[in-house]
Amino acid sequence: MSGIHAIDLKSFVTNAVKGVFKTMLSMPLELEDPPNIANVTTGTHMIGTVGFAGVAMGNVSLFVSRDFAREITAAMLGMGLGEVGGDEEVCDVVGEVCNMVGGDLKSRLCDAGFTCSLSIPSITYGDSFKIESKGWDRHERYGVRNSHHSALLEVYIKAANPS
Amino acid sequence: MALKVLTVDDSKTIRLIVKKAFQPFNCEIFEAENGVEGLAAAAKVKPGLIILDITMPVMNGVEMLDRMKTDADLKNIPVIMLTAESGKDNVLNIVKKGVKDYMVKPFKGEDLIDRVKKILILEPKMEEMAEGKKPEKYFTQIEDIVVLTLPSKVTRPVTVEVETSLQAKIKDMSEAQLKKMILDMNGVAETNVSLIKLIITALQQCQKASVAVKLVANPKQGEELKGFQETSQIAVAPSIDMAKAAL
Repeated sequence: MSGIHAIDLKSFVTNAVKGVFKTMLSMPLELEDPPNIANVTTGTHMIGTVGFAGVAMGNVSLFVSRDFAREITAAMLGMGLGEVGGDEEVCDVVGEVCNMVGGDLKSRLCDAGFTCSLSIPSITYGDSFKIESKGWDRHERYGVRNSHHSALLEVYIKAANPS
Repeated sequence: MALKVLTVDDSKTIRLIVKKAFQPFNCEIFEAENGVEGLAAAAKVKPGLIILDITMPVMNGVEMLDRMKTDADLKNIPVIMLTAESGKDNVLNIVKKGVKDYMVKPFKGEDLIDRVKKILILEPKMEEMAEGKKPEKYFTQIEDIVVLTLPSKVTRPVTVEVETSLQAKIKDMSEAQLKKMILDMNGVAETNVSLIKLIITALQQCQKASVAVKLVANPKQGEELKGFQETSQIAVAPSIDMAKAAL
């Protein structure tokens, strides 16, 4: 069994996202188990993704509805919802949130001996699409929510050299 | 003379957060999206401080810093690095590069300013200083009660302004032996994060100065406040008269 299976991925990822939302957005999140997948994959939604590569490889994605993405943007930039600009601004904020979550995860992985580098974030958004990725050691999904909205975190990971 | 601050980050969001953090101070902000643009801007502007991200396309922050260190004109500019990675190796690598300080994302604008103040003197903007001398802008007085009326639109810069005014006002109140305050948010058009932060800070400032305080909000705002963890337990009065009676 690869050492990657022993990692407490759930704590790494959910603590990272809760920390980012609390510090940057003053928006406490709680775990949602099971994740509300339908809520963040139907209608217009956004997915921020950051990849990491090295001894551990994979990616972490944050799924949010467009409404939640706008709320996140308003909170991040200290503005009212009505002041939020176009999708470009919203995508940048979702990407930055994902970058911070990915950065924290990467740090935990490196400290656990899975040295890796981080990619810059990418954003996918639209109405009806499904993303699937194959060939990983682990594929996990975690739900979080605030008082109004749900978000989904999806992680794919594998060890380059199973130990 | 305004302090020139160069923020180098591929994220417009982070550049905006940095820009807003410096807004209350006498600073001129310059932006660049990557290391190449950052070097060019630094050579042109000669900033007094650079806030530098690490992970960027084209040229990352570490490479930009390395190049700065070989340039006689740029090598002494203080740099604060921003990184999304808190891992031991990453932090050690940054420290070895001779940066003045580093911040791990996520971070608050206030925390960045605290770090900057450890290495540079930040002067408040002239208009901020003037506002600070005129705390009456947001305040009225009913008998022995001071009423702080929050503006209709509460954004981060407004928050800084109100907090500065409140500090001055509380000092005045102490000298005048006034110990009661009403925080009136009835005129606020939207309940947002900046407003929540302002309410919390105002309540804390009053508590610290032993000033009794009541929050006035309409029923809709009262419900919205319950939606935020920080304000969910705060009792609100529906009118100034009710708040007066409760003080």
